[in-house]
Amino acid sequence: MFNIILDKELREIIGTTKFAVTFGVCAVLILLAFYVGARNYQVSRQEYEAAVAENIQQMEGLTDWGSIDHRIFLPPQPLATLVSGVSNDIGRTVNMQSRGELRTEGSRFNEDPLFAVFRYLDLEYIFAIILSLFAILFGYDAVNGEKERGTLGLTFANPVPRDQYILGKIVGSFVALIVPLMIPILIGCLMLPVLGVPMDMDSWLRLAMVILAGILYFGVFLTLSVFMSTLLQSSSASLMALLVVWIFAVLIIPRTSVLVAGRSVDVPSVDQIDYEKSRFAAQLWNERMTAMQKWMKANYNDDHRQMRDGMRTFSTEQQALQDEKMNTFVEQLNEQRANKSDLRTGVALSLARISPTASFSLAASDLAYTSMELRSSYVESANAYQQEYSAFMQSKNVDYWGRYRRHGGNDDVEEPDPIDTRELPVFSYQQPPISEAIKASLPDLGLLFMFNAIFFSGAFVRFLRYDL
Amino acid sequence: MNDETKSGIDIQSDSMAASQPRIEAVNLTKRYEDGTLALDNVSFGINPGSIFAMLGGNGAGKTTTINLFLNFIEPTSGEALVDGIVTHKEPLKAKERIAYVSENVMLYPNFTAIQNLDFFARLGGKHDYSKDDYRDVLLRVGLEEVAHGRRLKGYSKGMRQKCGIAIAILKDAPAILLDEPTSGLDPHAGLEFIQLLKDLRGEGKAILMSTHDIFRAKDVSDTIGIMNEGVLVMERSAAELEGENLEQLYVQYMAGYEGSELASVPESVPDSEQRVETND
Amino acid sequence: MLQLLIEKELKAILQSPKFIATFGVCSILIMLSIFIGVREYRASLAQYEIATSLVDQKVAEATSFRNMQTKVYREPDPMQIFMSGVNYDVGRLSQIQSKQDVKLEQSAYSEDPLFAVFRYIDFAFIVQVVLSLFAIVFTYDAINGERESGTLKLVLSNAVPRAKYLIAKMTGAWLGLTIPLLIPILLGLLLLFLFKVPMTGSDWLKLTTLIGVSILYFTFFIALGLLVSSLTRTSSVSFLLLLVAWITLVLIVPRGATMAAGQLVNVPTVAEIESQKDRYRTDMQQDTDEQRHNLWEQVMAPAEGLPREERRAFYQANRSAFRELAEDLQTAMEEEIAEHNRQVNEGLRNAKSEQERLAFLLSRFSPASAYKLTAMNLGGTNTSIKKRYEDQMFAYRETYNSYVAKKSQQEKKARQEAAQKSRNSRMFRMTGSGNEAVDANDMPKFIASREPVGTAIKASILDFGLLSVFTVLAFAGAFLAFVRYDVR
Repeated sequence: MFNIILDKELREIIGTTKFAVTFGVCAVLILLAFYVGARNYQVSRQEYEAAVAENIQQMEGLTDWGSIDHRIFLPPQPLATLVSGVSNDIGRTVNMQSRGELRTEGSRFNEDPLFAVFRYLDLEYIFAIILSLFAILFGYDAVNGEKERGTLGLTFANPVPRDQYILGKIVGSFVALIVPLMIPILIGCLMLPVLGVPMDMDSWLRLAMVILAGILYFGVFLTLSVFMSTLLQSSSASLMALLVVWIFAVLIIPRTSVLVAGRSVDVPSVDQIDYEKSRFAAQLWNERMTAMQKWMKANYNDDHRQMRDGMRTFSTEQQALQDEKMNTFVEQLNEQRANKSDLRTGVALSLARISPTASFSLAASDLAYTSMELRSSYVESANAYQQEYSAFMQSKNVDYWGRYRRHGGNDDVEEPDPIDTRELPVFSYQQPPISEAIKASLPDLGLLFMFNAIFFSGAFVRFLRYDL
Repeated sequence: MNDETKSGIDIQSDSMAASQPRIEAVNLTKRYEDGTLALDNVSFGINPGSIFAMLGGNGAGKTTTINLFLNFIEPTSGEALVDGIVTHKEPLKAKERIAYVSENVMLYPNFTAIQNLDFFARLGGKHDYSKDDYRDVLLRVGLEEVAHGRRLKGYSKGMRQKCGIAIAILKDAPAILLDEPTSGLDPHAGLEFIQLLKDLRGEGKAILMSTHDIFRAKDVSDTIGIMNEGVLVMERSAAELEGENLEQLYVQYMAGYEGSELASVPESVPDSEQRVETND
Repeated sequence: MLQLLIEKELKAILQSPKFIATFGVCSILIMLSIFIGVREYRASLAQYEIATSLVDQKVAEATSFRNMQTKVYREPDPMQIFMSGVNYDVGRLSQIQSKQDVKLEQSAYSEDPLFAVFRYIDFAFIVQVVLSLFAIVFTYDAINGERESGTLKLVLSNAVPRAKYLIAKMTGAWLGLTIPLLIPILLGLLLLFLFKVPMTGSDWLKLTTLIGVSILYFTFFIALGLLVSSLTRTSSVSFLLLLVAWITLVLIVPRGATMAAGQLVNVPTVAEIESQKDRYRTDMQQDTDEQRHNLWEQVMAPAEGLPREERRAFYQANRSAFRELAEDLQTAMEEEIAEHNRQVNEGLRNAKSEQERLAFLLSRFSPASAYKLTAMNLGGTNTSIKKRYEDQMFAYRETYNSYVAKKSQQEKKARQEAAQKSRNSRMFRMTGSGNEAVDANDMPKFIASREPVGTAIKASILDFGLLSVFTVLAFAGAFLAFVRYDVR
């Protein structure tokens, strides 16, 4: 019996022009997203490599390691072009220094506000919009449509168990719609390596999970549509209701909840933090000046060169001490800010998760490494590199005062050799381990699953007592 | 009563009567782009104060005929005339003289019956009706007062049909076109409807009615036509048909038989038909 | 006749439960978007005020004019309430320092990526996405729905010319859908007064124009719905087609066009450009160092071969002269570097404008893009925001630099005079002067001017015209289709 119903559902959906048209549109958009994603990756990769090369180039010919300007860059992530997340909003460049706090700058959207106007057409966007509408278009009249056509009464004039009927309907619609969609999705996946996007096992696994999230997301809207069609009498009413729900879930709730909740927690602004830092730095500077004065009074020596060397050593010691103090202070400040910021993020995103679209976006960007985590992991990586870089600089006898050494003065200077840029340690961005990404996405995947279960049970229960 | 109902045909032979039929089809032919011949050289005339019933199966051409009079489609050749006005040449002028009741009357679901009537009455050029007038007409067609202020959404098919008829009455047009007007009505309502038609005929209206309902057709019409595959295969006045078995004829014409092969067709005359014949 | 038909259209729309539900939703969303916009504006304003007062404080606490640097911020604009555009994507501030490039950095989104996850909701967004859908939901069955229900036949069985009927449909739909929407819009505007948002006369002018364009945009979708309704027999088909059209026009084309332009026009990245500038600077610095070395040799030439003390004495005597020449060299170099950077920036900007022009041209196939671009022009949050501010900040930097230079000179002279009086002049220079703050009360302030109303509105004329053309074409199409529509 179940099989008969299932079979009929499949035929009823797949044979129609409606299906052909909507499936065509979805397929084209999915393929477009993959294609554009792959091309974008190539372009980003070229840009990245050009930037890295240029960075090295401009150092060539310098004779003094102390005078180089070194920048590190965030390499493009293959999945970032499919799920852009916040990857275009965060800074991609870090001006490397041996000491002091590192700052990211040069976000894609700040540099190219053109792309911020309409933003990107990525796979996540297509999924969020298309999959949900696709589900609604085919599920909205699942039950009340059959009643309107009269076929419901006709069906139940036969010995058909109700549970099998509703089960057959939901499963049938699900299979009839998702399986064909797998075709363009798989073709799209194949396009990636063909178009030169390097995908390793990790990336494939993460992409597979993003697609799984998409399937779950689709299921949410399908079960919701069927549920709605058991609640409302006329199919046009359920269609309207579902469109309203769609608008809220996809377009309104995620944005509004972040804005509403985001302002409810007070997080000190970056300007305030900067001000505290510069204040503390000025304080430290004054302390050092006083210490230097004291030292000089105590160690006055007619031999100016000796005195200068001694002063330099003392000054370096002082600087090291002060750096530590500064670091501790900055760490404290940043920790406080981070705690508040995390709290705010937690509140905002939890509220947003009322909408399954938010859950889907968050899960997808967690899996693609383009969530807010990206910035912290980039900064972490940069900090780790800073240790390497600082040690390297020290080995080259660049002191804390570094930078442009004057050639004035009466030292004999021979023509020094240009630096060998190959000696410079290379920055490689460490992606967080895949287990972290999967862990981060699990709550959202779970939420999507739960939505599915709730709406499914709702439809099921309603139908058991449905007035034929 | 009999004298009056027969008067339409008598007037036809009376030289004092209007020489031109009110509703007239002259060699009306309609061939669609895909080649199907929906109407083949159909001609008939309906005088003021008479009712013409068009019988025929689905796809016989009844609705096409009506659509031609309403200029919803244009004839391939021939003319459809209302009061001498060729409908596909002067549609707006013709429509002033036509009242139409479609097969499945829907109207505006969020308007009440009175609101619907008011709109269509004004559309038909009648701006002076009062609310009481509308109520009266609704009562006349058999719609109870409680329903008047309710939205059309909740109406049954029969109720909607009655509204359709009310609209036609309010337009007070000399020609009335009815497409399957009794298809949704229960027997009692059907009888009321027939009475209405007779009243309208008495007011001098020319009425073209397409229907499946042979029983009622025989009851009320002055002329009966049978359409089959676009051809008007039979056109007889009620007087000529007196004593004939109309059902038999109908089935024969549908099957394509005519005239002399009557005897070989098995009889299937219901009792009700017998009773009607004796009444006449 | 016309009046009768229009009245019936109006009543039919306003009395349908569908209208009450969807109109309710739209009103709530319109007012919500304005409310949130106002709140965000006030938050930005508060942040701006804190930031600038911090800058002022820092200046007040500074102890020397040498190497003094400051920051200037973009002041929030009330019009961003209605259209946030790229306001939060573009940097909020620029460092102002003699040698550094003026560059907007630290955008709101980069500092608080939480808000970049789902981004903003503003009035223009609601109009662009929700109201267009609203229009479609009401007009998709304007014609074919009446055909399906049979009322079209009934109406046209009367002496109603088709043209009149269609005009009445259009007018009725327009009046019945647009006029009610003015209510939540006006209520939303009330919020501006309630929250004391500072709106100037030109701001009101821009806002009125924005509302006008919004109405035009909405009208287009009414026309589109009527068009598709007159082209199809069943309302389910027209609904599907309109939904596909809506998705394509509103959600897909704008993004797709920008991405296409990004692929078609090649623009060097900022990272490349920065490194290029660095390379130039390094080269120039090396040159200058060489030149200075030569200069040194020149100056010291007469003292060649002399014993050490005499060399030192000679050096002391000529030191200030040498220093001056060396500094002249350095200044000349800086000026050349600044000029080079300016040219490079200019080149980059031109390439980007090319790309942008192409992107916007392609995207204007969709009325949704035309609308958004106009809204951004009027809201002052279009892509030229960067150039506008950076240009003004650049001009400010000149003023600032000359001020600081003047003050530095004064300070230096004062210090030198004080040093003469003391024995250990060198000591003083190394440890700096005392801890008193400098008097910077007369420092020039950065005041940015907003885009004049005339320019903003002029820039919108193109899109206004485009939207009008789209709308007229849609109505014309609906007209032609309906005249031949099969009403059976």
